[in-house]
Amino acid sequence: MNDKQKEQVKTVLYNILSLIVVAVLWTLFSAWQQSPFFPPPADIWKAFVGLATQGDIEGISLARHIWASLIRIFAGFAAACALGIPLGLAMGLWPRMYNRTRAVLEPIRFIPPIAWIPMAIVLLVGFSRYAFLIWLGAFFPIFITTLLSVTRVNPVHVNVAKVFGASRSYIIRKIVIPSVLPDIATGMRVGLGIAWMCIVAAEMIGGEMIGVGRLILKYAELIRMGEIIVGMLVIGIIGFLMNEIFIVVEKRVFRWRSEVSID
Amino acid sequence: MSAKKPKITIKNLSKYFDDLVVLDDISFDIYDGEFLCVVGPTGCGKTTFCNVVTRLLPSTKGSVTVGAEAIDFKKHNVSFIFQEPSCLPWRTVWDNVKIGLEIKGYPEPEIRERVQNVLEMTGLTPFKDFFPNQISAGMKQRVAIARAFVTEPDMLLMDEPFGQLDTSTRFSIENSLVRLWEKTKQTVIFVTHNLEEAVYLSERILVLTQKPTKIKSEVGVQHLLHPRDIADPEFVRIRRQVTDLVRWW
Repeated sequence: MNDKQKEQVKTVLYNILSLIVVAVLWTLFSAWQQSPFFPPPADIWKAFVGLATQGDIEGISLARHIWASLIRIFAGFAAACALGIPLGLAMGLWPRMYNRTRAVLEPIRFIPPIAWIPMAIVLLVGFSRYAFLIWLGAFFPIFITTLLSVTRVNPVHVNVAKVFGASRSYIIRKIVIPSVLPDIATGMRVGLGIAWMCIVAAEMIGGEMIGVGRLILKYAELIRMGEIIVGMLVIGIIGFLMNEIFIVVEKRVFRWRSEVSID
Repeated sequence: MSAKKPKITIKNLSKYFDDLVVLDDISFDIYDGEFLCVVGPTGCGKTTFCNVVTRLLPSTKGSVTVGAEAIDFKKHNVSFIFQEPSCLPWRTVWDNVKIGLEIKGYPEPEIRERVQNVLEMTGLTPFKDFFPNQISAGMKQRVAIARAFVTEPDMLLMDEPFGQLDTSTRFSIENSLVRLWEKTKQTVIFVTHNLEEAVYLSERILVLTQKPTKIKSEVGVQHLLHPRDIADPEFVRIRRQVTDLVRWW
């Protein structure tokens, strides 16, 4: 085993150890509190098994909740990519477009998705409400990262093509886009993370009784902390897994980069 | 040299940035297949000179002509080796070298043949599938040289390309460059502040002044045969001559 592999094994072991430490601390804390608001890990596990096998109070299984949330996330996220990347590229390439619309775009960026809930309830129905809120969360990180990455393209790379007589279209296709792709991927990763974090807010207003966010809200009304914590952990773990998958894909696709991401 | 016909003519070239005069009325000719070194102190505007000559920056006054025509990227074949690392990091060595040919629309079989030859000449063949982040700084400059030579340019401009390399790597690449130039006999303008490098490589040296930059003097080196010996008395004499010219920069 070489040094790198040894370090990887060590990292995995430390992560497992940190999970065990948190579980032990949580167990001690809940034993000390003796309160239904702080169920021990064993009760959380029981709640998880119950949700996974028998479903929630309406018989909807945890897998169906997860699937419903994932579909909503990917719809909102795909819409954010479809709009954020081309718009970011266009505004990066023609900065006047951005400068002349900044007064509209920038204030919207600072309105948190949760503040849009009343507007979404009034203006939208059903699936579009979920997609809109998730889109809001994901759009700006993708759009801003794309925009900034275009303005930071190394001018020497552009000049390399220019002195050979490259057309503007060649420079955009073969210099600007390959050069900004890793930054766009980072923006997408951040956007996906924020989109996933918006799921509870989106499912508060969606109207349907399915989705991980909705699951948490259902059990919040019943003050059943075990199921609430299961819902929270599911959101956290899925977010973590999506991020890890993204990092692996980034590393593979952008293997020409010496540094891909902080992992 | 005077019997030869100039290939590139730089006439009354000036560049101002508002009130700051960087290049002040520079005129000279470059002959077909000549290796010309332009030496000047740090900050005198050598990079501005390169950018103006290649039209990456517009000149305030004056002209750069190839034959009788004003220089134009689309019409003329110009290559530029930059001071900064300029390999495109997402392209392999092979793809970096071929970019000029690709832009100029050469057919794929010709691209393959030319790239293969130039990689062979620069010793890069074993690294053709490597990405720039997998090779050393010296090799990256070799890639830039290969990329510049592969298009057989009308004018090849090099802006202190070896400034960031250690001495031994620099010597090795300078030797490769001289061999490549002797084989291809392309017209080269090599800009540097390293006097020994200028004497080692070139056939003629133009010495620039401090800003506002003018041509201070011209020194002929064509009588020294390659490969040059830096301890050779004539080499030492010329280096001393250029040093005396630049001592009062």
